[in-house]
Amino acid sequence: MKALNGKFFRRGIHTNDMKNLAKNCAIEELPASATVDLSLSQHIGKPAVPVVAVGDQVKMGQLIAEADGFVSSRIFASVSGTVAAIGPKRDERGALATFITIKNDGEYSFMPLEGEVDKTDADSLKKRIGQAGIVGLGGAAFPTAVKVSPKTPVDTLIINGAECEPYLTCDYRLMVEKTEEVVTGIRYLKTALGVDKVIVGIEKNKPDCIALFESYDDLTVVKLKERYPMGGEKQLIYCATGKKVPCGKLPSDVGCVVQNIATAYAVYEAVDKNKALYERVLTVSGSAVNERKNLLVKNGTAYKDIIAYCGGAKEDLAMIVDGGPMMGYSVVSDEFVTKKATSGILLLNQKEVSLEEPTPCISCGMCAQVCPMHLMPMDIDFYTIAGDYESADKLGGVTNCIECGACAYICPSKRAIVQNVVIAKAKLRQMKK
Amino acid sequence: MENVLKASNSPHKKASWTTRSIMIDVLIALLPASIVGCVYFGWKALLVLALSVVSAVATEVVYLLACNKSFKQIIKQFDFSSVVTGLLLGLCFNSTVAWYVVVLSAVFAIAVVKMLFGGTGKNVVNPAIAGRVFAFIAFQSIMVGGYVIPNFAENAGVVTGATPLSALGSMENLKLFLGIGVAGCIGETCKAALLLGYIYLVARKVLDWKWPVLTILACGLVTVCMRGFDFTVFLPSLLSGGLFLGAIFMATDYVTSPKSLWANVVYFIVLGAVIALLREATNIEVVSFAILLMNLFVPLFNRFIRPRPFGYTKAKKAKEAK
Repeated sequence: MKALNGKFFRRGIHTNDMKNLAKNCAIEELPASATVDLSLSQHIGKPAVPVVAVGDQVKMGQLIAEADGFVSSRIFASVSGTVAAIGPKRDERGALATFITIKNDGEYSFMPLEGEVDKTDADSLKKRIGQAGIVGLGGAAFPTAVKVSPKTPVDTLIINGAECEPYLTCDYRLMVEKTEEVVTGIRYLKTALGVDKVIVGIEKNKPDCIALFESYDDLTVVKLKERYPMGGEKQLIYCATGKKVPCGKLPSDVGCVVQNIATAYAVYEAVDKNKALYERVLTVSGSAVNERKNLLVKNGTAYKDIIAYCGGAKEDLAMIVDGGPMMGYSVVSDEFVTKKATSGILLLNQKEVSLEEPTPCISCGMCAQVCPMHLMPMDIDFYTIAGDYESADKLGGVTNCIECGACAYICPSKRAIVQNVVIAKAKLRQMKK
Repeated sequence: MENVLKASNSPHKKASWTTRSIMIDVLIALLPASIVGCVYFGWKALLVLALSVVSAVATEVVYLLACNKSFKQIIKQFDFSSVVTGLLLGLCFNSTVAWYVVVLSAVFAIAVVKMLFGGTGKNVVNPAIAGRVFAFIAFQSIMVGGYVIPNFAENAGVVTGATPLSALGSMENLKLFLGIGVAGCIGETCKAALLLGYIYLVARKVLDWKWPVLTILACGLVTVCMRGFDFTVFLPSLLSGGLFLGAIFMATDYVTSPKSLWANVVYFIVLGAVIALLREATNIEVVSFAILLMNLFVPLFNRFIRPRPFGYTKAKKAKEAK
């Protein structure tokens, strides 16, 4: 079907997308490390509960931790070998989490998921999605099984192929190299949700992907303008369908469910290959890495192994970012490991990162001009610093913030607006309790 | 390697501009007006501008030193906003002004209006405007008289009338636009030079093109309405006095203008109207007074005119009311 032109959400920012760095690197498989560390909280919700003990032999794709409750996800061994340790460790965001360490025996004996899937039955597919431990691979890591069981009826499935974060190209590579597989995954998601309409939103900077997806008649392709944060759920829904998700509501309230390209691919693998989610494609990019690559990486691989495979870091390395430069986390060490939702590892040099000290706000209003949620970020910043979190919500609208970072990107005073948003949200949650 | 890794909060990539780069852009935009002012009014004008800038910067440095900041720190944090204030203030004087008026106004603008309120970004009113109004009130005799008509015009000499406002409509528009034979302050006579600065600021995305246009148009239209829909006064009313300087460089000061889009729209229209109304009421130059007055209302604009969040619904409002 011919691609449609998407609507355009007001505001947002335009950045140099830097995708050319890794755009043309085909997906390679990273040789597995000697050990992998698998965190039990790789997703939003409750941490998983281990079902293996130290000393157990596990196979690649074997369940090692069971989901704890509805909003949680299962964890699978990403290599075959022996469980070497189960214990608490700091993860890349500084939080304490339980990790299962598996020593790789180098045999890669594979254990498929149990049971058969009826590919035309919604419940069977939903069960398989939960069984395979699939989470949203765009970055938020929300369990997909929950997302495909919305409480309100939905009529549209939107596939997020915007990939609006600069540098990241893993979704792009999947769309180009595994088009058929991704589309199959999209069809399974469509069946699971029981919807008729599937919209694939792709930014205009990926014309080859648009052309590839246009050839499928059951998909509606929407060309999106290059604008950050086009991949934000509410922005994408608006641009793809013209519907606005009301404040404080979920996309399913306007009949939409948004899924990522990588998630669709994971669904394909779970259904057709009986393969649990234990590896994913991620982008290694940035000016401070010798070879930029798109790699198929086993979960729990240490950053240093990935960086070493990419020819090591350059001298001028200033920062390692887990995820994209806009919403990712800067990590303080290369000892940390990848998770299900790690979409990229960026090695940035001094010129690429901004480390300026914040200066006083000059009320230029640029943050309000670029805020895709039409908030007043300068007020959030001001009132959060003052400790008045209620005013930060009332006057700044902090609870509606999607933390895209457009405000902090444009701020000439380099103020840490997103940080204050996170603080205000946490404090408001505390106050509600 | 761990030792060299830096950490920051997201986003890790930021736009390249800083407060300092914005201020330098404003300075560049003020260059044409300053140069033309010096050409029209001679070396005395240059002296006034230099004196104003130097005393403004010196005041800031002395103030910060008194606050126990080291000289190194001051230089590191220097954001050029006091240079902008000094230059703007200098452009508001006529070239024959006494030196102590310039120095005292600059000291007042920086020390009292800006630094006492907390420095850059914290001032309630525009320091340059406040400095000019201070000079106007404190040294009335000096400020009102002594306007000079540029020396190459036919009727060169000192005139006592402030600006051609008193003779609205009697000057030729082109002469007004270029500032030839127009009495006035150093920076406000040549509208063409100011317009050049405006174009530069808009091109650099430092200034939204709408705001000066709104102010100037509102002022012109209100004047026309009050003169009984006499459209012959439209252009002269725009081109006379300090309207261009005020609308482009003074009123649009980030700190002392509202933050959100619609608040700004209303603010600048009201500002234009206030300028027109005050002009009708009095013969003195009113642009700075009007901006000073409107500056005081900015917090109200900020509080009551704010954007609605994306996806805002009326139903939610009703819920809140409960």
